[in-house]
Amino acid sequence: MGSSAKKKKDKKKDFQKPKLKVGKARPKPANFTDTSFKSKAIVLNQQSLTTAAPSATSQFAHHISLLTSRTDSQRRDSLSYLTTAIATRPTNAPLPQPVSVLLPKLFPLTLDISNGVRSQLLKLLRALPPRDIEDHIGNVILWIRAGVTNLAAEIRSSTMDMLAWALDCAGDALVSCAGGWVKTLKALIIMQGWPMESSPQAWSSTKTTFGKLGSDGKALAKSLTTLAAFLEAGLHDRRQEQGMQSMSWGWPLNHVEQHMISRRSNCFAYLNLFGPPPDEESQIYEDRGDRQRVFANRFRKPIELGLEAAKQGGGDVGRASARVQKAIKDGMKDFDGLN
Amino acid sequence: MKRKVGALEKVDADLSSLQYKVRRDPTSYREDFLGQYEQYEAQRQIFMQAPASVTDTGIVSFRDLIDFVAHVADCYPIDTAQFPEDLIQLVSLHHEHLGSELREKVVGSLVLLRRKDIIDSPRLLQTLFPLLISTPSKSTRTLLYQKCLSDLRTSNAKTTNHRLNRTFQTVLSNLLTSDRTSPKGLWAVKITRELWKRQIWTESKAVEIMKEASLAENEKIVIGGVRFFLGGDKEREELDDESSDEDAIDMGKIKHQIGINKKTKKKARQMENAVATVKRKERKKKQPHPLNFSAFHLLHDPQGFAEDLFFKHLQNTKSRLNLDQKLLVLQLVSRLVGLHKLTIMNLYSYFIKYLTPRQPSVTSFLASLAQATHSLVPPDVLESLVKKIADEFVSEAVAPEVASAGLNTIREICVRQPLAMNYTLLQDLVDYRKSKDKGVMMAAKGLLGLYREIAPGMLRKRDRGKDATMGLRSGERKEQRFGEEAIGQIEGLELLEKWKEEENQRRIAAKGDDVEPGPSDDDVDDADGWEFDEDSDSDSGGWQNVSSDDDAKDADRIGRPLKKARHDRRTSVETEEDEEDEEEDQEEDQEEDQEDAEKDEEEQDQDADKENNPDQASEAARLETAVSSLATTRILTPADLAKLQELRLAASINNALPASQRRRAAAAHQAALQRHVDDPLTAAEIEGLASLSSKNTKEQRIAIAKAGKEDKDEVKKSTTARRKEKKQEQGKSTTNREKARKKNFLMTLGKAKGKQKKSLVDRGKVLKAHKERGKRGGKRGNKG
Repeated sequence: MGSSAKKKKDKKKDFQKPKLKVGKARPKPANFTDTSFKSKAIVLNQQSLTTAAPSATSQFAHHISLLTSRTDSQRRDSLSYLTTAIATRPTNAPLPQPVSVLLPKLFPLTLDISNGVRSQLLKLLRALPPRDIEDHIGNVILWIRAGVTNLAAEIRSSTMDMLAWALDCAGDALVSCAGGWVKTLKALIIMQGWPMESSPQAWSSTKTTFGKLGSDGKALAKSLTTLAAFLEAGLHDRRQEQGMQSMSWGWPLNHVEQHMISRRSNCFAYLNLFGPPPDEESQIYEDRGDRQRVFANRFRKPIELGLEAAKQGGGDVGRASARVQKAIKDGMKDFDGLN
Repeated sequence: MKRKVGALEKVDADLSSLQYKVRRDPTSYREDFLGQYEQYEAQRQIFMQAPASVTDTGIVSFRDLIDFVAHVADCYPIDTAQFPEDLIQLVSLHHEHLGSELREKVVGSLVLLRRKDIIDSPRLLQTLFPLLISTPSKSTRTLLYQKCLSDLRTSNAKTTNHRLNRTFQTVLSNLLTSDRTSPKGLWAVKITRELWKRQIWTESKAVEIMKEASLAENEKIVIGGVRFFLGGDKEREELDDESSDEDAIDMGKIKHQIGINKKTKKKARQMENAVATVKRKERKKKQPHPLNFSAFHLLHDPQGFAEDLFFKHLQNTKSRLNLDQKLLVLQLVSRLVGLHKLTIMNLYSYFIKYLTPRQPSVTSFLASLAQATHSLVPPDVLESLVKKIADEFVSEAVAPEVASAGLNTIREICVRQPLAMNYTLLQDLVDYRKSKDKGVMMAAKGLLGLYREIAPGMLRKRDRGKDATMGLRSGERKEQRFGEEAIGQIEGLELLEKWKEEENQRRIAAKGDDVEPGPSDDDVDDADGWEFDEDSDSDSGGWQNVSSDDDAKDADRIGRPLKKARHDRRTSVETEEDEEDEEEDQEEDQEEDQEDAEKDEEEQDQDADKENNPDQASEAARLETAVSSLATTRILTPADLAKLQELRLAASINNALPASQRRRAAAAHQAALQRHVDDPLTAAEIEGLASLSSKNTKEQRIAIAKAGKEDKDEVKKSTTARRKEKKQEQGKSTTNREKARKKNFLMTLGKAKGKQKKSLVDRGKVLKAHKERGKRGGKRGNKG
C-alpha cells in the first residue's frame, strides 16, 4: 500500500496546476534554464574588410599550412590545390614559394597513412621543376629510405614511385650524395627480403617478411624495376655523353671540363667539413669506379642470389629481374676488380 | 599529433607483434629487424637534420621505433652496437627540441638498456644527471630524478657499489662547489638526502656534500643542507621503522587458504613467494644492525663548519636569509656547538640582541641558546645572558607564558652549565614557585629541583629539601667545578664481578674438592656462554662493547645505532652518569674545596665528612681495583653484557621502592629515556609549560576528551558481530558452537529421539565418554 500511495501522490503532483497570481511574474517551469548574461562589453572579432577574395599567394601559403591537417581528405585536397597552382602558373614564372620552403612540408607526407594523399603527393612532386630538386636530393633520399623500410606495404610501394621520380629528376646526384649509394642499396635489398650476408641459413628456411607484402606480385615487380633504374643510375657510364662535349674544345685546350669548377652546388661536399665523421655507409661515392667497387664487394652477391630466385617465378617479376640483371651486367662490364 | 589508425593499417604496422616474434626467435626475424632498424636510422637522420622542426607523422612514429629497438637490442648486440650512443647523443644534444613524449621515451629506453646490461650504470648516470640539471621541462626533471635515484638504488641493492657512489658523490660535490650561487645544486641536495634517507649513502662523503650545500650562497640550497642536518637522521629512522613493520605476512592464514582453495600453479607460486619473503625478513632481522652514524658524527671538522656557518649566514650583514631561515641555521650551529662542545665566543653575544619577549619566534632563539650551552662554555659569558633573560622575561609584569618560557630556558641552560647561575639571582627565580600561575610555578619548581640535584649549596637552607640537606651533610652532594670531567667506566661492572665470583664458588662447591679453584669461568663461557638467547632479551647488540673502556661521552659521540640499540645506549649513558656522580662523591675527600657562599653553614657537615673519610677511601680503592681488573683482563661477551643488564636492573633503586612509587619511578625513567643526548632542544619544549598558564575553555576540553574515542562510537555493534569480525580477520569462518547454534532444528530431532530410547548402559557409556573427552581436551585432544 505504501508504495502505491506514494505513487499516487507523485502522480497527483504532476497534474497540479501552478497558481497564478495577479501582479506577480509567471512562475518559472522546473526545467527552466537561465540564459541571461551580464557583460560590460560585447566584443566582435575582427572581421574581414576586404571585398576581394584572398590573393593567390596567401591561399597558396594557407594550403601549405593545411598539409598537416588531421583529415585525410583535407590534406589531399590541399595537395591537389598546390599541384594545380604550380602546374598552371605561367611559363617561366617562379614558384609561389621556393622549393626549399615547400619540400620540408611535403616530405612528411611520404609516410602518410592515406593512399590518396601519397599519390597526390607524387603528382605534386612531378609538377615541381626537376632542376630545383637536385640541390635537395640529400633530404629526399632520407625520406625515401624511411619509406622503403616502412612496415606498411602500401607505403613501400608508393615510395618506390617516389624513388623512380627522384631518379628521373636527379639520378646522378642521388647516387652520389652522402649515404645515397650504399644505404639506399642496403635498404632496397632488405626490402626485397634478400639476406645481406650469405648467412648459414638452412636452405629450407622460409623467407620471412615484415608486414604484409601486398599479396600481388606487382609490388615486387615494381620494386625490382626501380632497383634496376637505381642501379643503372649508379653504374651507368656517362663518359660518352661528356666526351662529346669535350670534343668541341680547340687545340691548346684539352680536357677543359675536368679543370673547370663544378656546376653542382656544394661541390666540396665530399670533404665533409662540417658533418659528423662518416662511416663507410654514409660516405659520398661520387665516382662511378667507387660505386662499382662497393657494389662488387658488398651487394653483388646477395642481389644476384636473390635475382636467381626471383627469376624463377617468371611473369612480371621474372622480366623485371632480368632487367636488373642486365643493368648489373652493363654497369659492371668494365669493372676489373682492381681500382 | 595522433591520427586515427584504421584496423587494416594497424595489422600492417604492428611493431609490437614484430617485437614479440623477434624476442621469441631472433635469428629468423633478423631481416625484419634490420628493416626496422634502417627505418629507425632514417628517421633519426631526418630528425638530426632539423631537430627543431620535426613533427611526428606516419603510421609508425620515431618514438615507437626507438621503443622497439630498445626492447630487442639485446637480441642483436652487433647490429645495435651504435644504438645507445645514438640515443645518448640525441637526448643530450637536442633535449630541448624533443617533444615531451619522445624525450621521455628516449630516457626510458636508456634505462631499459641499462636494465638489459647493454650500458653500464656510470654511463647512464653521466647522461641523465647533466640533463637533470639543465633541462627546462619540469616533467622531464621529475622523470630523470626518479630514474637517477632508482638506478643508484638498484646498483646498490645487493652490495654497496663503492665506485659508482664515489664518482657520483664527486660529481655532486663538484656541482655544489663549482658555482656556489647557482640554484642547480639543489639537485645534489635532493639526491643526497633521499639516498641518505634510504641508507644507501651512509658515509662521510655524503655528509661532506651536505656541508658544502649548507655553505652555499643560494638560500634554497643552504636551507636544504641545514634541514638535512636537522632532520635527515630522524627521517631515516622513521623510514626504517615503516619498512620494518609494513605488510607482515600471516603464514598461518596463507597455509590455511591453500588447504581450502583450489590448487593452482598461481597459488603455489604465491605460497612460495610468501615463504621466501618471510624467510628473507627473518634473516634480515637476525643480521646485526648496520653501523649508521648520524650526520653530525660523520662531520670531519665540526668546529670549522660551525664557525663558517655562523660567520657566513648569521654574523654576516650581507646574508640574504630571512628570519626563519636564519633560525634554522642558528639551530644547526647551536646543535653542533652543544653536541661537539665547540667554542664560538661570538655566538653568545649574537644572542643578546634577540632576547626580548617582543622578538618574533623568540622561543626558538631561547631553545637555540640553551642548546648551544655546554659544560665548557665560560660561565661569565653565560651569566650575562642568563641575567638578561631573567630581566626581560621573568618579572611580575610580563605574561605568565613569557615568564614560564624564561624560567624554562634558564633551567635548560643551567642543566648544561650549572655555573652560569649566581646565588642572588637563583633566590629570586626560585621565589616564583609561589606564583599563582601554574605554568610559572611549575617552571620555578623545575629550576629548584634542578639545583637541589646539582648544587644544593646555592639554595637557601629551607629550599634545599630533605634529600639535599642530608646529602650535603654526608658529603655525597658536591658542586662540579668548571671543566671537570668524570672518570668513565662500565656501570654495574662490580655487580657482574661479584656475580661471577659467586657462580665460581657455587660450581666448586657442587663439584666437590677435586676441582682446583681457579679462573675457570672462561671455559664455561667458551662452552655456551658466548652468545645468549636472543629471544629472552630483545635489546642487545654485540657491538656495544665498543664503548666499554672509552669515556662515556666519547662513546656516545662515536656512534648512534638504530632505535633498538639506541635505547640500550641511552640507559647506559644515563646510568653511567649517575655512577660517575657517586664516584666523584667518594673521591670528594681528596678535594678541599667548599662553596664560598656558605662556608660557615657547612662547618659541621665537613666534620661529619672527615669522620667518614678513611672508611670511604678504602672502599673506593677496593672498587677501583676490582673494576680495572675485570674490564682490562677480560673481553666482555654478549652473554656477559646481557647478565650485566639484568644485574643492573635488579640492583637499581627502583626495586627497593614500594610498588606504587616504583611505577612512578619507572614512568619518570621512561620519560628520561625518550630524550637522547643527540636529540635537539626545540621551541616546543621551552614553551611546554605555557599551556598550563591558560585554562582551556569547555569546548576545548570536550574536544580533547573526544579525540581519543572517535573510532569507538562509529557504529554500535553487537558482541557477536564483533566476535565474528575478529574471527574473520584471523582468516577463520565460524566456530563449532556457532554452527551448532545455527543448525536446523529438524535435523537435531532425530538425534534427540535416539537419546531418549537409549538403554541405561548406553547412557552410562555416553556420559563416561563425555567425561573422558573433557579430560583429554575435546575430540582431538590437546596433543595437536
